[in-house]
Amino acid sequence: MHQFSDWLSATAFSQAIQVTSWAIPGIQTVHIAALATLFACALVLALRFAGRGLAAEPLHQLAARFVPAIWLLLLVLLVSGALLITAEPGRTITNPVFYLKMIMLALVAAITLWLGRAARRELERPSSLHVFAAALTIVLWAGIIVAGRFIAYVESY
Amino acid sequence: MNAAFLEWLQNTPLAVSVGENWFPWVESAHVIALAMVAGTIFIVDTRLVGLTSRQLRFSYLSERLLPWTWGAFICAAITGSLMFIANATGYMTNTPFLIKMGLLVLAGLNMLYFQQVTFRSVANWDLGRPPQAARVAGFVSLGLWIGVIACGRWAGFV
Repeated sequence: MHQFSDWLSATAFSQAIQVTSWAIPGIQTVHIAALATLFACALVLALRFAGRGLAAEPLHQLAARFVPAIWLLLLVLLVSGALLITAEPGRTITNPVFYLKMIMLALVAAITLWLGRAARRELERPSSLHVFAAALTIVLWAGIIVAGRFIAYVESY
Repeated sequence: MNAAFLEWLQNTPLAVSVGENWFPWVESAHVIALAMVAGTIFIVDTRLVGLTSRQLRFSYLSERLLPWTWGAFICAAITGSLMFIANATGYMTNTPFLIKMGLLVLAGLNMLYFQQVTFRSVANWDLGRPPQAARVAGFVSLGLWIGVIACGRWAGFV
């Protein structure tokens, strides 16, 4: 991992990001704006599973708009996140908190996929398991945000 | 602002404790709160400019989401104030931070004007395409909040 990190930070592309002073705050701004929108979309979806928020709209109809929005925003986050790793690999790929963040991301993605499929079956009365899973996605997204911030504070090995 | 006051603020036990022990946690809570603020605003704004949720009445969408925006805004203001007092003298000379505060005021004024003037005729455009004044308010809000995020991030690098 250290070798990979050193190699990546020495590439011309990584160097180009490193020497452009506004590049890292600029990419982080895109990353934060996308995560904010994703978090709000996940919240709207979770609230709808609990019968709250935009509850006047049928669940399957709401999910048909908000679930694809979550995937699109996740793509923006993965691309901007990959650029941030490329710029400063030593900060992330040898940092345990980064891996904790990726584990939570895999979990929340799996749950969102499952909830999206459940919603598409036009289920009008979600089970308590669905409601619990929807609440769990919000906890996981919040955990992902906290982990993302702690990458800056926890030492890489 | 008065330098002696900022100095005093920064040396209060609360400010010292945030600065020494709690800063990463307060910052994390601030990011969660700002995500909820900006995210819900973006959902409402993109509806206002006519890009998303066009089949929903605008008044319904905003009435259901804005309480979450305000609740989260209170959390963001509290956590933001805690971060500010931990380094009050530093923030008062931090240009991006000052720009961020200016953009927040502009976002507030934009919202106030929209609420008091444009929104009054909402019954005429609740389901259709919002009038130009509403779309302008939506675009201005989107731009200002992206600016708030950018300055907030930039402030941390100065």
